[in-house]
Amino acid sequence: MTSMKTPVTLDLSAAKVVTDWTHTANLLCCRVDPTGKYVVAGAIDYTVQRWEIATGKKTVLVGHQNWVRTLGFSPDGKTLYSGAYDGRLLAWEIGLETPKPVKDIPAHQGWLRGLAVSSDGQRVATCGNDKLVKVWSAADGKLIRELPGHAHVPYCLHFVPGSHELVVGDTFGNIHHWKADDAKPSRSFEVKEIFYHIGDLAPFGGIINLAFSPDGRTLTASGLHKASNALAGSRRPVAVSFDWKTGEKRPKHESMKKEIDGTMWRAVIHPTGTLIGVFEKQVGFWNAGVPDVAHLAATPSDIYDCDLHPNQLDLYTAHYDGHLRAMRIGRG
Amino acid sequence: MQEQHYRPCGDIEHLLGRRQFMGDLLAGAGLLAGSSLLASPVGAAEVAKRGKSVVVVYLNGGISQFESWDPKSSLETGGPFKALPTTVPGIHISELLPHTAKQMHRMALVRSLNTKQDDHGLANNLVRSGRMTQSATEYPELGAVVAKGLERADFPLPGHIATMPAGVGGRGNNAAYLGPRYASVTVGAEKGGVANAKLPDGMTVTADQRRHDWRRFANSRFRDKVDSVEIDAYTQTYEQALRLIERRELFDITREPTKVQDAYGKSELGKQFLLARRLVEQEVPFVEIQPGGWDFHHNNFEFHLHYVSDFDKPFALFLEELAQRGHLDRTLVVVMTEFGRTPRINTGYGRDHYSRAWSIALAGCGIKHGAVIGKTDAKGIDVTDRQVDHRHLFHTYLQAIGINSSSEFDIAGRKFPIADPAVGPIKELLA
Repeated sequence: MTSMKTPVTLDLSAAKVVTDWTHTANLLCCRVDPTGKYVVAGAIDYTVQRWEIATGKKTVLVGHQNWVRTLGFSPDGKTLYSGAYDGRLLAWEIGLETPKPVKDIPAHQGWLRGLAVSSDGQRVATCGNDKLVKVWSAADGKLIRELPGHAHVPYCLHFVPGSHELVVGDTFGNIHHWKADDAKPSRSFEVKEIFYHIGDLAPFGGIINLAFSPDGRTLTASGLHKASNALAGSRRPVAVSFDWKTGEKRPKHESMKKEIDGTMWRAVIHPTGTLIGVFEKQVGFWNAGVPDVAHLAATPSDIYDCDLHPNQLDLYTAHYDGHLRAMRIGRG
Repeated sequence: MQEQHYRPCGDIEHLLGRRQFMGDLLAGAGLLAGSSLLASPVGAAEVAKRGKSVVVVYLNGGISQFESWDPKSSLETGGPFKALPTTVPGIHISELLPHTAKQMHRMALVRSLNTKQDDHGLANNLVRSGRMTQSATEYPELGAVVAKGLERADFPLPGHIATMPAGVGGRGNNAAYLGPRYASVTVGAEKGGVANAKLPDGMTVTADQRRHDWRRFANSRFRDKVDSVEIDAYTQTYEQALRLIERRELFDITREPTKVQDAYGKSELGKQFLLARRLVEQEVPFVEIQPGGWDFHHNNFEFHLHYVSDFDKPFALFLEELAQRGHLDRTLVVVMTEFGRTPRINTGYGRDHYSRAWSIALAGCGIKHGAVIGKTDAKGIDVTDRQVDHRHLFHTYLQAIGINSSSEFDIAGRKFPIADPAVGPIKELLA
């Protein structure tokens, strides 16, 4: 007889911050390890902070020389990958008492903006300001392939679940789908409504984050739209989803009832189908297929990243004020 | 007095609306606005300054000193960009300026500005005029003062030219008591530079000449009856506009070799630098380059990544070309802005207005190359050495091009100190 796992039920009206840990510098990103033992956060003081979830014990991981912008775990939870504005990709054995970098890869010229780990753990992909996407061997850190030809800076990327294919989102609102060995993208999605350009100088917005639904049927891009004054930050958060198989674009997810200036720095799709997005100080929840936000849960400080704990009950958020918070969002 | 007779003009003039007849180039110029009195010459000594030029690159809105001239390694305030060594040992600037770093031996920095004004409009006024803004007197901006101080009777072009990305016309209201003669004339770096400079369809050169003859006749007849300096200024400006149109090819950067245009780049700012180089070669006394807004309350680092990179290469090329062609020895270049940006990185990863400790850069004639004036603390919060403000700078700019900033304008018998007499130049910055 197989054991039945208790289904998770979201309880949004009861959503609240249940854990609050502090660091002394702004946090830019966070990830929970797949075993649920640790949560890590990247900071503007060049460090990665590791908290042991059960005890709250904090360990500082030192190795980068600029803002730590992106994090990812191997599927077994043993290896943490970190990418920073120093252009480097570092790998850490996260279970050690005081982790040190076990791989130090000068991955990009200029900022490294995004990284992703394949679901089999064999490959790590990165992208950066040099307009390159690079795929690395997780085993030895060697470059497997380089994906050139991006006209604009690739901002984020994600492995297609169960494969070595990649989706790459750029600062001009394009998503490119790269098959494992093709020399150019096999298809592209345009999300021009979440991209703005300031004069002939600077892009504003674009594809800030990409996420697949747990069943792999939906690809969601998040970012900003309705930018009325980019220099002052007047814009609205938004997520745009596609049917992964057909490429059909679905209605935008936005906050209509309550207009809030913000960029949706990350969206994740809960196993219940609810889309969870973080922007400004808010955690927003959207029911599947419904454009307007179903619930907003406020936090004390601006949120720049989030990640779901494997228990699917706790959402960890990385904040401007240096706090890492966990919000209990359901019952299991 | 010989009587002038008006000869009937051709039909085409009557088909033109009055505004077009008066010349779209002059539309909105505010020719009679502000002080109406023309100043008498500054003095004989200024004749010796003939041929000097000043170019101001005005980064409207406030470039961040951290992401340009005064980078900090503070984890709290420094931001993600590193400091880069320059051609002057010991001087580092932001890594966003690699090309400019190679020109530092032709430049100087002032890192100790405290201008005590965080409001856009007021700060704009004080850095341009070199005065405190509480005064009841409206003061001329640097461009007008330079145009006046370096004025040459035989010079065919306006002495105070502002370049904008697109072709626009008109004259600024920035000369105060010096009068509209010294106010900025705005030209574009695209579409041939001078807006509305072509004759309307159907207008022949002969017909155009006849309408100007008629205008001069009417003006002269009216001037005989009314003694007015406003009319003189108006007439002078109109004639200056015609001379500008006659020399419109100077404003057409497409006349430059393709490789030169390519080197300056296709951005609006690159084109403006190329136009400024052409105008400096014509010995225009004052040229201002006005790129778009630099007011990054949000997303400061992403925007600086693009904006400063866009500035860096053409600016460095501009200095290099001026130096190679021998013009940098007679041209002062100032990278001016309204104020700096806050050390604090705000919740949107922007920086807000900050006038308490900020920087400007200079290059070219009259200044000590490789000099760094003043310093700020490790976090860039306060000036810790040699605090100066816009008034000191105003004196310094003028002294660098040989204008005695301690002298006065005599406007119809009333004395106006050229620069704030309460302070003087930054002497250690002057060559």
